[in-house]
Amino acid sequence: MKRRIITLCYRKIIDANCSDEWCRNVFAATYQEFKMQAQFYNQQKKHTTYKQLIDDVPGANKLNFLVSAAIIDYLKELNDQVPDVVNNLGRSFLRFKNFQFEIIQSDITSSASHAVAIYFMSQPLIWHDTVGDQMITSENYNDDNCEMIINQFRLSENLGIYTLQTLEV
Amino acid sequence: MDRKLFVRHAFSALGIVAVAPLIHACSKNNDSASASSDESSGSSSDVTTDTSCSVSPTETEGPFPTKQPSSYVRSDITKGDGIGSPLTAKITIVNSNNNCKSLEGAIVDIWHCDVDGNYSEYGGTQMQSTNFQSVHWLRGRQVTDANGLVTFKSIFPGWYQGRATHIHVHVYNASGTSLLVTQIAFPDTLAITVNSTGSAYGYTKGTSGYTYNNADNVFSDSVAKEMATVTGSVDKGFDLSITIKANA
Repeated sequence: MKRRIITLCYRKIIDANCSDEWCRNVFAATYQEFKMQAQFYNQQKKHTTYKQLIDDVPGANKLNFLVSAAIIDYLKELNDQVPDVVNNLGRSFLRFKNFQFEIIQSDITSSASHAVAIYFMSQPLIWHDTVGDQMITSENYNDDNCEMIINQFRLSENLGIYTLQTLEV
Repeated sequence: MDRKLFVRHAFSALGIVAVAPLIHACSKNNDSASASSDESSGSSSDVTTDTSCSVSPTETEGPFPTKQPSSYVRSDITKGDGIGSPLTAKITIVNSNNNCKSLEGAIVDIWHCDVDGNYSEYGGTQMQSTNFQSVHWLRGRQVTDANGLVTFKSIFPGWYQGRATHIHVHVYNASGTSLLVTQIAFPDTLAITVNSTGSAYGYTKGTSGYTYNNADNVFSDSVAKEMATVTGSVDKGFDLSITIKANA
């Protein structure tokens, strides 16, 4: 009997179109940190965009690492809860154990094009079934025929399966 | 540090200055602010003078426009693994455009390598964990007080091939505009002593192949301007002090 264990990845894009306060705070903080850190790689003041820096300046791809320090306290505010993702009943249910930060684009002369992404990797879930377009998962498995709490939700263009492990039980 | 407090004070330090031509710069040392980087050549000095007394809008934007400061903002930048001889660094920033008076409200970033010569850094993206143990070890940010002083608790840096022992420093004004990119040098004899006698503290690399200051491509022509005063010992820990001149 096979049991499938998955982790999910949720990608949150943070840009000038942020609608919630947390997103706007992360946008402002990462833009300010980018503007500060980029100056080290732009001492001749030749460039204005992130793409120009990483194309032209050796080591500028460290900006992803350097700017990620700006988001740490905002991630702590989430208390391990993945933002935005809700089950079919509108409830948050997904927690994250790991994350990745990425600068998508930016420009030191204007925040309008600044965009970063945070990838949230979830805790493991047991994937029981798919009903229509909805995943049926649980966090735990009860071997003694007791009920399990189920989360039912849809995947989306920003929410997908990240890892899959199939166990024989 | 409260954002409003240093934004308020930052302007008072920068705003009440006379325009200071270089001939009236600091009396003891006519050198302009040192600026060097081992990643790119040339100076990053951004000379700005302001003779008005009104707060300009860009200053009030500030570097910390939102609730949470970057995780760099801390005085203790150690890894937390107890490796390395403790070093307290007191860095004073003065304004070479204002007779080397203390520069309050300047943002100071420092970073350096661990006992093995490695930096916390990666290119591209990598996974981080929600235990939030600092992946940005041995990197920190502080804002200068009324005496132009910032203090960091760190360790005596290690070394790596091609470079003498050093600490990187990036000085910004209160708005986050770069004023100076520079490095702090250590006396050769001290670096050799730490690396040849400090194995109990993690300095196991030894000194074979070590680059002395006069052979270092960053320090060889300017080490006197960037040399720190360091007292202490591997067993007791070190105190480092240096005054850095920035054009603000």
